[in-house]
Amino acid sequence: MHNTPLPNRWNLPDLGLGVGLRSQHFRHITKRWPAMDWFEILSENFIDTEGRPLYFLDQIAERYPIVMHGVCLSVGSTDPVDFEFLDKLAALAKRVRAVWLGDHICWTGVAGLNGHDLYPVPYTEEGLRHMVSRVRIIQDYLGRPLVLENPSTYLTFASSSMPEEEFIARLAVEADCALLLDVNNVYVTCRNHDLDPVAYLDAMPYEHVVQVHLAGHTDNGTHCIDTHDGRVIDEVWKLYARVHEKTGGRATLLEWDANVPKFSVLQQEVGKAARFRNGVKAARRVAA
Amino acid sequence: MSLRDTPRLETIERWMQAVVMHPEGAEGGVQSKPARRLLPQAAARLESVVLPSKSLSAVERLGIYAYMYYARLLEILIAEYPTTQQILGEKAFERACRRFLERNPSKHRTLNRLSVRFPDFLARHLPPGNRSKLAVDVARIERAMEDVFDAPRAEPLTAAEFASISADQWHRVRLRVIPALRLLKLRFPVNAYMNAARGGGKPRMPRPRATFAIVYRLGFQVYRRDQTPEQFKLLYALAAGRTLAEAVRSSVSGRGSNAEKLAAVLGAWFREWAAAGLFCGAGSQVRSC
Repeated sequence: MHNTPLPNRWNLPDLGLGVGLRSQHFRHITKRWPAMDWFEILSENFIDTEGRPLYFLDQIAERYPIVMHGVCLSVGSTDPVDFEFLDKLAALAKRVRAVWLGDHICWTGVAGLNGHDLYPVPYTEEGLRHMVSRVRIIQDYLGRPLVLENPSTYLTFASSSMPEEEFIARLAVEADCALLLDVNNVYVTCRNHDLDPVAYLDAMPYEHVVQVHLAGHTDNGTHCIDTHDGRVIDEVWKLYARVHEKTGGRATLLEWDANVPKFSVLQQEVGKAARFRNGVKAARRVAA
Repeated sequence: MSLRDTPRLETIERWMQAVVMHPEGAEGGVQSKPARRLLPQAAARLESVVLPSKSLSAVERLGIYAYMYYARLLEILIAEYPTTQQILGEKAFERACRRFLERNPSKHRTLNRLSVRFPDFLARHLPPGNRSKLAVDVARIERAMEDVFDAPRAEPLTAAEFASISADQWHRVRLRVIPALRLLKLRFPVNAYMNAARGGGKPRMPRPRATFAIVYRLGFQVYRRDQTPEQFKLLYALAAGRTLAEAVRSSVSGRGSNAEKLAAVLGAWFREWAAAGLFCGAGSQVRSC
């Protein structure tokens, strides 16, 4: 176990414990300013709008660190890079002084269309070369590292020539990008592909990991779906504990997107992570 | 699988998209013409492209993505068009949404504009009849509410700024309307219907009657309100960039020549509109706020 945190490549801070900012809690947060170390926003919810969400976000960004996490950057797509969209992301990042910004290791559409889902790429050398090149272009354009998340996946391409964890580890190292390790996604993916989640975690290059996600999922027996609609299960907490052993502390965020409960429930749930984060001051603030 | 048989990344992506966006689901998608053209081997033996798991077949695994594609976008349309759904009924609304999504797949990274063409689509594809016409009118209002929710901000003219326009300027001044304003000419009393429906009631089908509505955002709250035909004409002319004098002439010319009475009426309208924050600038040039 690390007594001191394992540094990450960019010296990005351990922000403590945070939750995803959802519209259901805008009023509560701006009225009560509750104890929370930081918030993560879904970037696309605040782009192409100048209405109420942005009004609340501006106020919240004055008081809490904000991290931007997107779902449509489509780094794995074979369509051209959308620089207009990158400009919008950069403008939002400047506006909220985003500590970092990122998306998923996936593609969301091709041929000019968007499926608004996180589709897996085949884990091939061609897929890796393509994604490394795209991530580098995007990082160069934005002038900052991208923080990319392992998605929950539900299928395996026959053409894949390496396991997902190897693909992700090589992508991080070769593109020199940061990773957001979603331990719930690791659990879901491993259940869906009959893989060992511990072996998956052990393959991660932790000096690239700057953030961790926690969430609930739906277990359908034959497969799991990453629904973000409930509490984190014990098996996922065990995986989180292992990540903490490896890193000594990373910014940790709870996602809860469906059947969204009261803010106090989110505080309580993410506060459980404090058990694994001995001595981390920020964790006490949320759990208090 | 040998390297020669490995489909290119672009081919795999186009194929998977064709499959998961197919209206008949993954099974129909794999056998569809576009998918067969891209990866004919998948139609013959899907396992050569997608592997099964211990508990799911290859087509079931693809089916998860196919199901989620429509489920996610349907959820958006249901959230944006609750009263339209209530008028059409859940099943008919879902059928309309699915047909709309088949023909209008999302081309945007954000979902704000997914349903921009939905009211027009309904107008073209719903069966003839008053219920369909009402549904289209309601859909237009519900879409306008989405539009103004996201529209750019603009500081409304204050009462003091209105007062600072001198009397000799009034005839040639152009008032600029806020970007978060939509004007809709409708065939039914939609606002009253929506008030009842959204208040939890089951309003009766109204009789056709032309109504004129505005949908706008004040602060961060979205409002909809009926206007008289004259008010609507005047606002419409101002929104089109006409001078105040031109707009008044085109809208209230039938009111006769009692200037005092007319001034009182116009004064009341403009006070109402100013309180609603509908104007964001005044000048002699046509400019947007």
